[in-house]
Amino acid sequence: MSDKKASLATLTNGILKENPTLVLILGTCPTLATTQTVIGAVGMGIAALLVLLCSNVFISLLRRVIPESMRIPSYIVIIAGFVTVVKMLVQAYVPSLYESLGVYLDLITVNCIILGRAEMFASKNPVVSAALDGIGMGIGFTLALGAMATIREVFGAASFAGIAIPFLQNYKIAFLTKAPGGLLVYGLLIALVYAVTHGRAPLKKSFSCEGCVHAANCHVKSCETKGEVQ
Amino acid sequence: MKKNIKNLLVFLSICSVIALLLAGTNFLTAPVIEKNQSAAANQALLEVMPDADGFDSVDLSAYTLPATVTEAYRETGGQGYVFKLKTAGYGSDMILMCGVHASGTVTGAVCLSSNETLGYEKTYGEGFKDKDAAGVDAVDTVAGATKTTGAYKSAVKDALNAALILGGADVDIRTEEEILADNLAAALPAGEKNFEKLFLYEDIRSFDAIYRATNGAGYVFVTGDTFVGASADGTVLTEGATNAEAVKDAVAKITATAFEEIDLSAYAELQKFVVSAKKTQSGNYVFETKGAGYGIKGGNEWHPASGEYIVVRVSMTEDGRIIDCLTVSEGETDGLGDACADEKFYGQFDGKTEDNYGEIDGIAGATMTTDGYKQAISRAFTALNTLKGVGTNE
Repeated sequence: MSDKKASLATLTNGILKENPTLVLILGTCPTLATTQTVIGAVGMGIAALLVLLCSNVFISLLRRVIPESMRIPSYIVIIAGFVTVVKMLVQAYVPSLYESLGVYLDLITVNCIILGRAEMFASKNPVVSAALDGIGMGIGFTLALGAMATIREVFGAASFAGIAIPFLQNYKIAFLTKAPGGLLVYGLLIALVYAVTHGRAPLKKSFSCEGCVHAANCHVKSCETKGEVQ
Repeated sequence: MKKNIKNLLVFLSICSVIALLLAGTNFLTAPVIEKNQSAAANQALLEVMPDADGFDSVDLSAYTLPATVTEAYRETGGQGYVFKLKTAGYGSDMILMCGVHASGTVTGAVCLSSNETLGYEKTYGEGFKDKDAAGVDAVDTVAGATKTTGAYKSAVKDALNAALILGGADVDIRTEEEILADNLAAALPAGEKNFEKLFLYEDIRSFDAIYRATNGAGYVFVTGDTFVGASADGTVLTEGATNAEAVKDAVAKITATAFEEIDLSAYAELQKFVVSAKKTQSGNYVFETKGAGYGIKGGNEWHPASGEYIVVRVSMTEDGRIIDCLTVSEGETDGLGDACADEKFYGQFDGKTEDNYGEIDGIAGATMTTDGYKQAISRAFTALNTLKGVGTNE
């Protein structure tokens, strides 16, 4: 029972508590770049989810084989390989999405979320947990991108997923479709998540040290006790 | 050392697995991607030949096609060809796509990319649909965008010619200038392909035009499609020429021409618009006069006036018939009014008199230029009448 609970927690963590975009503030570049349209954002989210799932599973499977000193190059090769696979599949079967995502599809390789989860989670957990973490993080990323894109497209371009919304046509806030508008919506969503979780999410102990990308080189025992994350 | 080798082997193994994964995916997706890309490329071709089943690229190196043709595609069912054309517009190059049916009619023409100021090229191609060569000739250029639409029309004609050539026909794809240059060189090889059109001071009516070899080797006399070469002393060099006497007379007239400068100091009014006035020994007059076109009268914030008059050289007989006309200088708008320096325009005044010099085709979209030019011609007649003491029309 407790295993099931733990698995569910792993899956749901990425959706809100440790949402990669809105709580961990990772993958900011694709978040701002692909949320002009809902279709582009969801497409990017699903592509990232697939890469996350595959790379997490692969890295978890090889976690005892990959030498400590070679782990980052190995992760990069694995992630870049899966990104290329996803890119070829999207180009072959969803060419319109391939056109709309452009270079951002390739840039999933350097998306911090994927490398971050490989380093933080997949390399330390069994395959099933790693897969659930990849799915959870991918869904969280997709939902965050989808929510942000919905706000930007509906109010900025008076359409949803390319379908025009007639009564909003004269009230477009074009600013929202531009980069500064994206940053504003991003900030507001982060604030909303912070308000909903009462600011607890970013301070979770499990995240503050183990989840930190600097954890390996950090000599501080606990960020919380040192008051470094406030 | 041992540890490093082990690490390297592990890393190489991971790379190999990923490479295999990529190879497998590529094997699966490459044909689909290629099919998608080919469909996307065909989409542009289908736009100008909607009934086509498919297209095969044509190797252009095997043919001599007009220079505007950059790519050619043969419809797989033999319906015709689609050509990608690159031609110089007013702003920069225009990339066009033109379909030509096997029957010799245009199936469609679109502009793929351009940088023209007025944007007529976006819809101009629609007018060529279902037109044959004669029909394409009859499509008018757009006033105010003659350079853009003229280049477009010329490119469509090139596509029609290219389709004929690919179909095995022997088509002359030379431009008018190239044909003239070739004919001149053939008539007088000693001219070494360097000729200048003579401005005629004498009333030599038996020829449409006379060209002089710049190296002094002689002359070429043009009547319709006939080119007759003659040496500098008037000896006809072209075999079978039937107008040897006329050629000899003409050369004698040309070489004997001498001028007498007319002093205009006594004519204060004429001095305002007559740059120079001369009289030939045979009694003809040659004037260079100024007319106020767009360069003087026009100008706005987009096209400021140049401040230059149109200066025209006119030779006329004593009884007031224009022998020859030439634009000496002008400051009219590029691509519009500057057509007044084109022989197709000023050549219309040859043979005209004071009564009918206005009966010429104006320059489309450049009324001020046309009026300014006519003013300069009118002033030549005024100068002639004043010098002859008949009076003036100004």
